Amino acid sequence: MTIRRGLVCCLASLLVAPVLAATPFEVVPSRTTLRGNFSRAQLLVHPLAGTGQQTDRSEDLSRIADYATLDPSVVTINDSGQLLAKGNGSTSVAVTVAGDTRYVAVEVTGIVDQPVIGFKEQVRPILSKHGCNMGSCHAAQYGKGGFKLSIFGYNPGSDRRSIVRDHSQRRVSLVRPAQSLFLLKPTLQVPHGGGQRLRRTSVDHEVLVAWLASGAPAPAGKEPTVTELEVFPTRRVSKPGTQQQLQVIAHYNDQTTRDVTAWAKYDSMDESLLEIAHSGLVSVSGRGQASVLVRFENQAQIVMFVVPSETAATLPNWKNNNFVDELAEAKFRELRIEPSGLCDDGTFIRRAYLDAIGSLPSVADTRAFLGSTRPDKRQRLVDELLGLTGDPSRDRFNDRYAAWWTLKWSDLIRNSSNKLGEQGMWALHNWIRESFRTNKPFDRFVTELVTAKGSIYSSGPANYFRINGNANDLTESTAQLFLGIRLECAKCHHHPFEKYSQGDYQNFSAFFKSVGTKRSEEFGLFGSETVVVVKAGQSGKATPLGGEPVEHPLDLRIPLAEWLTARDNQFFSQNVVNRYVSYLLGRGLVEPVDDLRSTNPPTNVALMTALSGHFAKSGYNLKQLLKALMSSRLYQLSSQPTKANVSDTRFYSHFRVKRIAAESLLDAVDVATAVPTKFKSLPLGTRATELPDAGDFYSNYFLKTFAKPKRASVCECERSSDENLAQALHTLNGDTIAGKVASKQGRVAKLLAAKKTHQQIVEELYLATLARMPTTGEQKACQEFLEQSPSPKECYEDLLWALLNSKQFLFIR
Amino acid sequence: MIRCWLPALLATLSLATSPVLAQTSYPMLMSLKPVAAQVGQTSEHTVTSRYNLFGAYQVLVSGTGVTAKVVPVKKSKDGKEPSLTSLKLKFTVAPNALPGVRDFRLATPRGASTVGQVVIVHDKVVVETGNNNTAAKAQSVAVPSTICGAIEGAEDVDVFKFSVKKGDRLSFHVRAQRLQDRIHDLQSHVDPILTLRTATGTTLAASDNYFFADPFLSHDFTADGEYLLELRDVRYKGNSYWQYSIETSNRPFIETVFPLGIRRGQDTSLIPVGQLVPKGAMLKLNLPGTSPAGQQALRLPLAGSLSNPFRVVVSDLDGIVTEANADNNSPKQAQAVTLPTGINGRIESASDLDCYAFEAKKGDKYSFEIIARRIGSSLDSHLRILDAKGKQLQLNDDLQRYKRKSQDSWVENFTVPADGRYIIEVRDVHLRGGPRFAYFLRTTRATPFFELLLDSDKTQLTPGTSGCLFVRTERRNGFAGAIQLAVENLPAGVTAHCGQILPGGQDGCIIFEAAGNASLAITNAVISGTEIQTAETPNGPPLSSVARAMQETYMPGGGRNHWPVESHAINVGVASDIRSLTLSTHAVTLKPGGSTKIDITFKRAPGFTTNVTLDLLFRHLGTVYGNSLPAGVTIDSGASKTLITGKESRGVIVLKAAKDAKPVEKQQVPVMANVSINFVMKATYSSKPLLVTVAKP
Repeated sequence: MTIRRGLVCCLASLLVAPVLAATPFEVVPSRTTLRGNFSRAQLLVHPLAGTGQQTDRSEDLSRIADYATLDPSVVTINDSGQLLAKGNGSTSVAVTVAGDTRYVAVEVTGIVDQPVIGFKEQVRPILSKHGCNMGSCHAAQYGKGGFKLSIFGYNPGSDRRSIVRDHSQRRVSLVRPAQSLFLLKPTLQVPHGGGQRLRRTSVDHEVLVAWLASGAPAPAGKEPTVTELEVFPTRRVSKPGTQQQLQVIAHYNDQTTRDVTAWAKYDSMDESLLEIAHSGLVSVSGRGQASVLVRFENQAQIVMFVVPSETAATLPNWKNNNFVDELAEAKFRELRIEPSGLCDDGTFIRRAYLDAIGSLPSVADTRAFLGSTRPDKRQRLVDELLGLTGDPSRDRFNDRYAAWWTLKWSDLIRNSSNKLGEQGMWALHNWIRESFRTNKPFDRFVTELVTAKGSIYSSGPANYFRINGNANDLTESTAQLFLGIRLECAKCHHHPFEKYSQGDYQNFSAFFKSVGTKRSEEFGLFGSETVVVVKAGQSGKATPLGGEPVEHPLDLRIPLAEWLTARDNQFFSQNVVNRYVSYLLGRGLVEPVDDLRSTNPPTNVALMTALSGHFAKSGYNLKQLLKALMSSRLYQLSSQPTKANVSDTRFYSHFRVKRIAAESLLDAVDVATAVPTKFKSLPLGTRATELPDAGDFYSNYFLKTFAKPKRASVCECERSSDENLAQALHTLNGDTIAGKVASKQGRVAKLLAAKKTHQQIVEELYLATLARMPTTGEQKACQEFLEQSPSPKECYEDLLWALLNSKQFLFIR
Repeated sequence: MIRCWLPALLATLSLATSPVLAQTSYPMLMSLKPVAAQVGQTSEHTVTSRYNLFGAYQVLVSGTGVTAKVVPVKKSKDGKEPSLTSLKLKFTVAPNALPGVRDFRLATPRGASTVGQVVIVHDKVVVETGNNNTAAKAQSVAVPSTICGAIEGAEDVDVFKFSVKKGDRLSFHVRAQRLQDRIHDLQSHVDPILTLRTATGTTLAASDNYFFADPFLSHDFTADGEYLLELRDVRYKGNSYWQYSIETSNRPFIETVFPLGIRRGQDTSLIPVGQLVPKGAMLKLNLPGTSPAGQQALRLPLAGSLSNPFRVVVSDLDGIVTEANADNNSPKQAQAVTLPTGINGRIESASDLDCYAFEAKKGDKYSFEIIARRIGSSLDSHLRILDAKGKQLQLNDDLQRYKRKSQDSWVENFTVPADGRYIIEVRDVHLRGGPRFAYFLRTTRATPFFELLLDSDKTQLTPGTSGCLFVRTERRNGFAGAIQLAVENLPAGVTAHCGQILPGGQDGCIIFEAAGNASLAITNAVISGTEIQTAETPNGPPLSSVARAMQETYMPGGGRNHWPVESHAINVGVASDIRSLTLSTHAVTLKPGGSTKIDITFKRAPGFTTNVTLDLLFRHLGTVYGNSLPAGVTIDSGASKTLITGKESRGVIVLKAAKDAKPVEKQQVPVMANVSINFVMKATYSSKPLLVTVAKP
C-alpha cells in the first residue's frame, strides 16, 4: 500500500508539472477565521482555467504547494495545507506554487488557557472519526472489553457516563488526564483490542486531554448541532494517478460554520477506483466513476469522481432511438466508453418476451418476427408485449404482462398465505393483478395500498396492513418500497448515511398510528374477517421525510399518499425508475436498487432525472416507462462485450446477462418441452409466473432451487440472482427437465409423431428454446449426432436436453 | 295424480309401527340444482341434503308467488325405504313473483329440513352441462339468460361462451356465496371470481367481491363476436354444493336509490343508482298510507320494463328531511334538524362528512339509527354524536341486532347531558363516498321496547311427545318487564304451552305438544311476545314484538351459530327415537337455599341405545342458548343424573335455589332429552311443562 501510494504521489507530481509554470492558481479559502482552541482548517489550492474560475477538471495543487505561516504563535500549517489555531491574533500564511505565492489572511480568536470542551461538538466527532462508536467496536451490542458506546454516538449522555462513570471511573483520571485508561488504550500505551486508533502527538489527543482536564463536562443541550455539510470539490473529472484533497465545512444551527475536514470520516464507494486517506486526500487509481462518502455528525455528503478512459469514444453506428439513448451516449462519451453493437433479432425477441411478460415466445411468434423485414419490427414487438398498440387483436399479452409484474410486486409487497391466510393472499393477489392488467397509474396503485381500508377479503390492498402489522413495519416497508429509502437504522439511532434521525422516523411512523382493525361479517357468517379501519379521533400530526408536519382530521394516510406520489417527490419516481432499469438492464442506476440516498448517487444522474421526469409526466404509467427503456438502443445492445468495454459493469455499454428468474425459467422449460407443470390445487395450465403465493401451499422444488423468494423481506435482494451448484445439478440430473424432455406428450414426441423432417425438428427445438434458428455448424453437428444416436427419439431428446442446459437458455442475453 | 298419491303415503308413514329410526336426524338441505327458477315457469330442480329426504311430502317457500312440489319417489322393489340425499322438486313461479332469493324447506317424516335457497330470476335459466373447464370446452349460452352451475370440485373453472353485437351492454350478476349463509352444515364456502374474456382469452373485465363475496360486473361491448365468461372459486377450491347463478342481463340493474327513506302518501322521486341505468333516470312513486312501515322491496317502471327489486325504508316518522345541497361537512356548517325525524343523506365523495345539528333539553333521550347497508347502500356508516364544540359524546360503528352485526350504525338511548346544540356526524368508516353511499338516518325518542329471537328455525315433534322452543329477548332503552309469549298457526293436533320471560330475564320457552294421533304436518308459526303490564307500567298499550327465526348453523370447527331466516316451522313427523318423556311432577316449589328432585323417565324406541342427556337448559360447548329457569335457580349437577347411557331410561334432575333467589310464581321450563345428531346438532324431546315456583323466604 505504501509503495502504491508513493507511486501515486510520484505520478501526481509528474502529471501536475506542466501546470506549475503556466497556470495561475487560487487558494480556498482566501481568508479565514479560526475560533477556539484546536480549531483547524484545510486550504485547497487549484489552478484557474482560462475563465479565471476553477472547473470540475481543475487539478489539485494542495499537495504540491509549499506552505509557511508568518506567525506560528497565532497559527501553524502543515505540509498538507492544514491550519491549526495556536493563539489569538491575526496573521497570514503563504502558499507558493512554482514560485508564485498567494497569502491567506488568518484570524484566530477564542483561545483560552483552560478551554471547556463540548462533548457533542468536539469529543463525539473524535470518537466517531477513530471508529470507537462503530458497531464493530464499542457500539457492538454488548460493547467491547466492558466499554460500551452508543452506535454512532446517538446517545451522548450514555456515552459520557460510560467513559467517565462506569466501573468506578476506572477509565478516566481527572487529575492526570493523559494517564486515563480512556486515552492509554487507543494510543496503545496499554494493550487495546482495537489496535492504535489515536496518536499521542495528535490534536485529537490534545482535545480529549483538555476535555478531561476541564472536568469531562457532560453533553449540554445548548451545544450547536450540525445542519448541513458542504464538501469541496463536489465533483471532479480526474485521471488515474492524480490526487484531490477534500475540504469539509459544517454548518451549525447557530448559523456558525466550522472546517471539520480533520474530523470528518471518509469512505471510498469503489476502492478499485479511489482510495481515501484519513485526512481527506483522495487518490485516483482506476478509470470509471465513483464517489467518496463524507460523514460528520449526523450529516453525509458525497464527492463524485469521473475518470474517463484514455481515448475518446467514437460510437460508430450509434443512433439514438429516444432520450434514453441521448443520455446514455453522453455518459459513454464522458467516460470514453465504446458500447457494443446491437443484439440480433433472435436475442431481442427472447430478451423482450422474458423481460416484459416473463415468458418465452412461441415458435410461431419467433418465426414471424425473424421472418419480418419491417424496419420497425422491434418497436412493434415492444408495443405488442406491453399492450400499447390499441388493437385488441395485437394486445394479446395483457394477462401475461399482468401476471409477470404481479409476481414482481407481490414479492416486494410480501404477499403470502403464511401471513394472510389463503383468502387474504388471493384478495391481495387479485388486486395487484387487476392493477397491472388495467395498467393502473402507479401513484394510484400506491395511494390505494397506503390508504387501504376495509375487509381483507374484499379489499385486497387492506392486506398491506396485515403484512405490516404495526406502525414501525409500515414505516420501514413504505419508505423502502415506494421511496427506496431504508429507514430501519433510524428506528434506533440517526441514519449513518442519511439525514434521517430517530425523530424523523417517529414523525413518519405517526402516519400509521391511527390504523386499527375490527371484525366483520362482510363475507357472511363464515367470514369473520379482519377489517382495516382508521380509529376515530386519533389523527394528529405526522411529518413526511424531509418535509413539514401535516395534519388531517380523518386519516393521516391521505396526506401521506399525496406527499408520496407528488410530482415533486423525486424519490417516488426515481425509486420506480431505478427498479425498472435494473429489471431490464440488469443493474439499477443506483445500487442497491432500493437504497436511494444523496450519498448513493445514480451512475448516470441525467438519465435518472430524465427517466423519472418522463415517468411522472406520463402519469406514472409503468407501461410507458417500460416502453421508453425497451425501445432504446441501450436496451437492445448485444451482451457481447468488446475489449474496450469489458470492464464496464455500471454504464450499460453492453447488455448485462441475467439469470432467468425461477418462475420464468420453469415456464420456459414448460414452453420448450410443451409439457406444462401441474401445481398443487391449481388447474393444469397455470404458469409458475401466475402463482399467487410464496408460502408453502404451492411449493415446488424447481422454484425453490432457483431461489423463488419466500417474501420475507421488502428488499429486492431477497430474490437472489446468483447461480449455484444445486441449480446446475437439478437441470443436468434432476427429474424436472428429464421427465419433460422424455414425456410422451412432449414436444419431441409430437414432432416425431407428426413425422417432421430432421431439419424441421432441429429448427423447432432451437426456436422453442433459444428463439433462433440453428447455425450451419449447429445443423451439421445435429446431423452427426443423429447418425451416432441409437434412435431419432434419443437424438432429439438429448438435443433438447442439451439446449435446455445451455447458458443461452438459462440466461437472458 | 299427486293428490291421490300423497294421502296414501302419509297414511303409510304415520301408521308405521316400529320403523328403525334410532338416532334419527331431520334432513339438512345442502344445495339446489339449478339454483334459479324463472318467473312464469315451472321447472325441475334437484335438492341435495345430508340425511334422508325420503318421504318428503311438502315444500314451504317464503314470500308469495312461488310454490314447489316434491316429485314422488317410490320405495325400492324390496319394499324398503331408500335413503335419499337428493330429490327432485318442481318449482312454479308466478309471472309477477318478486325476483330475488327465497327460502324453502321440506317437510319429511323425519322432521322439517333446514332451509335452502332458490333464486327467482327474470330470464331463462341455462344449466351448466359437461366439462366446460377451459376456453376450448366452453359451453355456449344465449344471452340474456341466467346461467346456473356449480363449482363442483377443486380446480373447477366454468367457462361459457356467448355472442353479442357491437354496442351491446350486459351486466353479470353472480349469486353464490350469499346463498350459503343459511346452509346449515356447509363447512366450507365459495369465494367466486368472475372474468370476462375475449374469444382468444384476453381479459376484458374481472370482478371478485362486489356484493360482499359475490362478483358483479357490466360491460359495453365494442365489437361483434364471441366472448368468454369464466367463473371459479378464487382459491380454485370446489364443492358439489357450491351452486351459483349468473344473471346476464341487458336491462338496468338498480343497486340502490336516493333517497332511501320514503313517506307514505307523498309523491316521491327516486334517483336509481346501478349498472346500465339510463342517465338522468328518475323513478316516481306515491306509496299508499296503508303501506307497512319498515324495509321494503320495490319494483318500479324503468327503461320500458319493471326494474329489478330494490330496497327502501318506508318511514313511520312524521317528517323526513333531505340533506341540503349546501356544505354540511363540519359541526359549524351542520344542517339544522328538529328531532325526531328521518334524514335522507348521501356521502357524496371520499372523506365527505355529513353533520346535522339539533337542539335538545337535558335528560331528553334519543336513538339514532343509520339504515343503509342493510338495504343495498355501499355505506359502512360511522355515526357520532358531538357537542356544540365538536367533542365526541357517543360513537357507533357497527350495530348488532338479532345476534348479527351490520355495517350500519346505531346510537341507542343517547341521554342529553345539558340543554344545548348537538351534532350528528355521519361518514363512511373507510372515508369512501359516491352515489352508492346513500343512507336513511332515523332519529327517534328513545323509548323502552324489546325484540325477540328464536333459538331455532324449526321445532320437531313426533306423535305423543313434546318439543321446546326457546325465545330470547333483547331489551332496549330500559325495558325490564315480563313478556308473555304467544304462538299462532300451529299444525293440527299440536297445542302450545306459552311461557313467560320473567322481568329482567332473557329467555322464555314455548312447549309444543303433539297429540298421539297427530298426522304428518308442517306450518310456519308466528311467535310473538307481549309486555305483561303491572301497576307500575306507564299508561298505554302493552309493548309487543314478533320474534325473528334463526337458522341454526354448524360452524366450521364445531361451533353453533345462527343466521336470520324468514320462518319458524312446526313439524309433526313420525315416531322416532324417544317415544315419551314423563316427569315425577310438573310443579315444584323451591324455598331460597332449598332444592327439589325431579325424576325423569323416557321411553326408547326399539333398537335405540344411544346415550341421552337430560337438561333444562339448551347449551353447546359451554354456551347457554336457552334457559327459562328463574334467576337463582340452577341444576345441582352433583346430585343429578343427566347422562343416560345404553339401555337406561331414567334420570334425575335436582334443582336448587340460591339463598337470595327472588320469589317467582310458576315459571314454565322444559325438561329436555337430547340425542346427538352430530358434534353440534341434537334432536331434542321435551317434557310437558314443568312449573317452577320460588317461594318467599
